[in-house]
Amino acid sequence: MTEREDEHIILDNEDESEFLLDFTTSSAIGRINYKSFILYIIIFWLGGFGSSILFLLYLSLFNQILLTILLFPLVFALMYLTFIPGVAFISKLFLILINLIHKPKEGIFLAEKGDKDYEFWCLRIAVKKIVVWITNNFPLPWIDILAFRWFGVKIDFTSHLQDAWCDVEFISFGRKVMVGQGAVIMSSMIVGKYLIIKKVILDDYVVVGGQSTIAPGTIIGKDSVIGALSTTKYLQYLKRNWIYFGIPAIKLKPNKFSEERKDIIKKVEVDEVRKFKVKHDVNIDEDKKDYV
Amino acid sequence: MFISVPASLRVGPFTSTVLVRKRYLFFYIFIIWASVIPILLEFYLYWHYTFSLNLQVYFVFLFPIIILIMYVTSIFSSLICAKCILIILNKIHKPKEGIFQRDNSNKDYRYWCLRNTIKRWPIWLSHKFPIPFFDNLCFKMFGVKTTFSNSLFEGWVDCEFIEFGNNVILGQASIIQSALIIGDFLIIKKTKIGENVKIGAHSVVMPGSQIERDCILAASSVTTVGQRLEEGWIYIGAPAAKFKRNRFNEYNLEEKISHVKDVEALRDKYEKIYLKWYDNDMSWTERKALRKKKKEDERQRIDSRIE
Repeated sequence: MTEREDEHIILDNEDESEFLLDFTTSSAIGRINYKSFILYIIIFWLGGFGSSILFLLYLSLFNQILLTILLFPLVFALMYLTFIPGVAFISKLFLILINLIHKPKEGIFLAEKGDKDYEFWCLRIAVKKIVVWITNNFPLPWIDILAFRWFGVKIDFTSHLQDAWCDVEFISFGRKVMVGQGAVIMSSMIVGKYLIIKKVILDDYVVVGGQSTIAPGTIIGKDSVIGALSTTKYLQYLKRNWIYFGIPAIKLKPNKFSEERKDIIKKVEVDEVRKFKVKHDVNIDEDKKDYV
Repeated sequence: MFISVPASLRVGPFTSTVLVRKRYLFFYIFIIWASVIPILLEFYLYWHYTFSLNLQVYFVFLFPIIILIMYVTSIFSSLICAKCILIILNKIHKPKEGIFQRDNSNKDYRYWCLRNTIKRWPIWLSHKFPIPFFDNLCFKMFGVKTTFSNSLFEGWVDCEFIEFGNNVILGQASIIQSALIIGDFLIIKKTKIGENVKIGAHSVVMPGSQIERDCILAASSVTTVGQRLEEGWIYIGAPAAKFKRNRFNEYNLEEKISHVKDVEALRDKYEKIYLKWYDNDMSWTERKALRKKKKEDERQRIDSRIE
């Protein structure tokens, strides 16, 4: 015991760089408590009525066996497609109710039971989970973006994020953003006992490499690139037109291949390629070469 | 929010520990078959009592919930079936730690492959479903020491020789292994993860590493085989090295944690300049006009450059 007490005294005298957040962890809360579990079943149930009516119609309309067998795959796909808007509508209803009770806000909160912000954050995740899961498992990329837009994330149909893991609040995307495979974009992070929520902004033409993590509060400027397997820090600001790389991400070199200069590169490739002159010799006698 | 393995890569093997071998395919198919039978029975009963007896209001009303129940029963039946086979297997040959030759003549290697094939289907089923409760149940049944307060859903966890404390959080796409194949050898070692440990996104915990309580392993860092992370430190890098003391477990730090005011101002300014075309205050027609203008600018720029 005496040893530990001594340690604490030494630590108290140290400067406050100990509380700097110059590392990133994760935001995954894969935990559903019983309150939200009931909510979850209700969403599933009420959202599925559309597809169940469709199934009943299909069963009662076609009495021939051959037709029922032939049409089954099509009806199945249609049922899946009608299930998505049904579930999305009801979970949005719940989300509006929850946000009326407690407004979501940015900041640093205690990640324990009893803290209101933390509990409502968990609840919001549980409500959104089923819709995002269903759309992300469907092989159409734009349906995923539709779900993100439905829950209020600013994103355009020109950008792509189906292969990535992304939080569904406090994020805004510009035009033509590319997010790589397995990348993680989080607007919330858990460090020790604290939950940190900060907005993430990705501007136009940003490219995020595969398997890279983006911490809450990062701002990525126009046309800049983050390399694969790199992470950004909390509240980091990445300037425009640069390539960033590393853990944490640092400047590597200016981005020559940015969207704004793409057409110049194309032109150079076509026009200024070295041209090789080739002599065409014909194997005939010297005096007859004039005829060729 | 969803599984962080990309949609285009979700079919492939996750780590070196997933080996479905051709010779053990019989067990695999048997478990799938056994998990589907109770579903069919359930659906038949539901059909018989609601559709054929002309109670079609009930048919519509109960359809979504019966689909949910069918999925859950398939998870449970496959789990029970796999557990029964596992108990018999472990009676024949007890799973043990150590370094083994990776060859079909080695008994330990063969049984390790068999165990993995048997566990694969129930874990896949429960991992695809977005209720993490079933995932935790699977780990508990297959011999991983966990509690239901842990959130292990977003990562990949091997199913034997792993111990978790309370209140552990695994990051997105992190991997926790207890077995490893290097060249011609198979290494199986017990990994221990203590209380209140937070593991960052994309980090890998190798077999045999011991993470003591109140540790934080930062994002995209890797531990070596048999590494011991000391209590109450933050580790970073590949291989993981001591970074600084973890003092984020104390109370009343909300003000102290780095809070740069300039960044906030910068962000406000930034949002006004660049993301104006998508502001909430704009009306729909204004937004459309802005988008059109932006597209036209893009096209003009390209045209001018090409000429």
